[in-house]
Amino acid sequence: MSAKSFILKTLLAFTISLFLTGCSNDKPAFPDEPGYKPTPYEIEIPYAFPTKLNIPNDNPMTEEGVALGRFLFYDGRLSGRTHPDSLMSCSTCHIQENNFEPGIDHPVFEGGFVHGLTGQQTHHVVLPLVNLVWNHSGYGWNGGIYKNNDNPNFRTIEDFVRIAVMASDEMDGDTNQVKALFQSLDGYPELFYKAFGSQQITFNNIEKAIAQFVRTFVSAEAKIDRYLRGEEQLSQPELNGFILFTTEEGADCFHCHGGFGNPLFTTHLFYNNGKDTVFDDLADRFAITGDIMDKGVYKAPTLRNISLGGPYMHDGRFETLDEVIDFYSHHLQVSEQVDPLMHHLLRGGVQLTPNEKADLKAFISTLHDENFLKNPAYSKPKKFPDEP
Amino acid sequence: MKNLFWIGVILSMLVIPGCKKTEEATAFGDFSLKVKHEVEGEALKTDALIYTNAAGNRYMVTEIQWFISDIQLIKEDGEALGITQNVDENIFYIDTDIEETHTINSSYPIPSGNYSGIHFTFGLDKEANKSHRFVNPPESFMFWPEYLGGGYHYMKLNGKWINETGAIEPFNFHLGIGQEYDEGGKSGYDLFEFGDRGHYQHCDGYMPPQKLNSVTAFIHNNFSLKLPLNFTIKTGEPVEIDLIMNIEKWFYGYKVYDHDVWGGAIMQQQEAMDIACRNGVEAFSLRSEK
Ligand code: HEC
Ligand code: HEC
Repeated sequence: MSAKSFILKTLLAFTISLFLTGCSNDKPAFPDEPGYKPTPYEIEIPYAFPTKLNIPNDNPMTEEGVALGRFLFYDGRLSGRTHPDSLMSCSTCHIQENNFEPGIDHPVFEGGFVHGLTGQQTHHVVLPLVNLVWNHSGYGWNGGIYKNNDNPNFRTIEDFVRIAVMASDEMDGDTNQVKALFQSLDGYPELFYKAFGSQQITFNNIEKAIAQFVRTFVSAEAKIDRYLRGEEQLSQPELNGFILFTTEEGADCFHCHGGFGNPLFTTHLFYNNGKDTVFDDLADRFAITGDIMDKGVYKAPTLRNISLGGPYMHDGRFETLDEVIDFYSHHLQVSEQVDPLMHHLLRGGVQLTPNEKADLKAFISTLHDENFLKNPAYSKPKKFPDEP
Repeated sequence: MKNLFWIGVILSMLVIPGCKKTEEATAFGDFSLKVKHEVEGEALKTDALIYTNAAGNRYMVTEIQWFISDIQLIKEDGEALGITQNVDENIFYIDTDIEETHTINSSYPIPSGNYSGIHFTFGLDKEANKSHRFVNPPESFMFWPEYLGGGYHYMKLNGKWINETGAIEPFNFHLGIGQEYDEGGKSGYDLFEFGDRGHYQHCDGYMPPQKLNSVTAFIHNNFSLKLPLNFTIKTGEPVEIDLIMNIEKWFYGYKVYDHDVWGGAIMQQQEAMDIACRNGVEAFSLRSEK
């Protein structure tokens, strides 16, 4: 855009925003509007879960914010476009019944590998959106979005919204276009008013609403949760698998993927789990820390709902859980960067027998939370605000 | 008689200021411990394969994460003062990667006076070591699996060593509740009974996976130390004492600990944890700043 048109557009935007904020700040935009009184949204802390939540101070959760976020999360016009071929929203890649992942059987994203509207494939495979409000160490496979980042644009789930909208391998959109589009859609400005006290839609408030909605995604009603609460017994193979999962002489998964004392089933921390000997991914943990020991290091994802299917690992190299378990059993690769917690390294892995593998898999399936995958509160709204 | 009267007056004049002095003793000062991790007197360098232990293993340390609890300051007269007012808060997590955990401040003003030492527990004692007492990270990430006794790791000291074949092998020097296993492997534990209701109960017919015999007893490996050091608490002169973990000392003292003998993981090897903890009694020292 030329400098002149930029200045003109900025001036125009400025005038419009002066006009609109003028309306909403002094008195309600419409005399008969109930007014801006958002209801606080409380996240209930499930049994044995951490009590500390990662919610930025400037975006307290409200019922109205979450409700608005739900529409936006599912509304394909988040791409800033209305042509049926150009629709994309968070739910295009993050699908509830697939643990907010695309799923390996996705009709368009073959093998579960997603691409953006331009056709460009994402650098890594999709991460699930599960219990993210308890992640304090960093979002993304390399944890590049984290609370104390010097760069204030890469700190929160709010930032992920902007990234998803703008990235060429995702929506390839323009934030101004997106907010202008939603401003023009019946019903949305009122919802923004209810959530944030202004009918003037800002991209910042779009980010905030979606982030609030994503923070409500809590998975804590799997069989393992009922077992941990003492409400239901595990079957014999599941129990055997649990013991394998949480013993060093067994499968030894718990140091990174949790257990009784850490029901998130992840530490959200970063490890090299011994998949390779050469590290050429430019977006690993090393890209964030610059520490040579962080080559080939990624976040250990939660294993909740993981039995739903691959592709597994940051590059989606494994299709099935059996392949993953085989990998940890027999195929570890030696490198300087392998985390010391992988102490079975020189034996090639934890050497599970076929029976033990079956037991471990049985245990992992107790982390499957149907309640989460079908929770109506997280599902696609019946209709969007501008639909009759 | 008159003289005696005056002697009395003089004596009481001597005594009264003395009383005053003891009143002054109820003044308060600030106290903090600075935790240091050292190898042979030098600050630990993580991820550097430059150390050799008593067994001759060349090794490096990636990180150390541990709990210290029940810290008490011992007065000259032997009285012990907890560093926190509430015993439940007298548990501190220390992590070589988290600078803030290296300073432990008293949670209330400490009475001035002369002190002769510091007492503490390495890890958590039996009473304190209850599952789910910490739900938030990083403490919660220290959980010790229920099957192995529950509660928390006292310490995770992770690293790598050059093993007898010359290969670099990871080790997890993890200490916590130890187990005795039923060598016959006949009966097991019902994992359904846990937590506040105490540790598992036997359940007929339950066979743990073939690699694991059933656990017949748990052993609490934590230990307490009373280290001597004279220091004085005074108003306006905060006292900082270094508490040093001398890492090399985990590997000798009671017995030489050889990574080639015990391998990469010892959470299920009570004999190894026992040697480690008996060595560990000598692994800590105090140093006063200034
Ligand atoms: C084109 C597919 C696609 C779309 C559309 C998309 N995402 Fe993602 N999302 C991904 C991929 C791929 C990753 C993993 C990125 C990485 O770390 O390399 C990811 C990761 C994330 C994460 C990090 C999760 C974690 O555990 O660290 C969050 C949060 C997230 N997305 C939220 C959103 C939101 C909110 C939207 C809508 C505004 C959205 N995504 C739209 C593909 C997509
Ligand atoms: C040293 C820490 C560590 C240990 C121990 C460990 N993992 Fe992982 N796990 C990771 C990391 C890191 C990743 C992600 C690696 C990547 O994407 O390249 C991962 C990924 C996975 C995934 C894929 C998750 C996804 O969303 O794609 C599964 C499944 C898994 N691990 C299961 C296990 C099981 C089962 C065990 C025990 C046999 C185990 N892990 C032991 C660190 C660990």
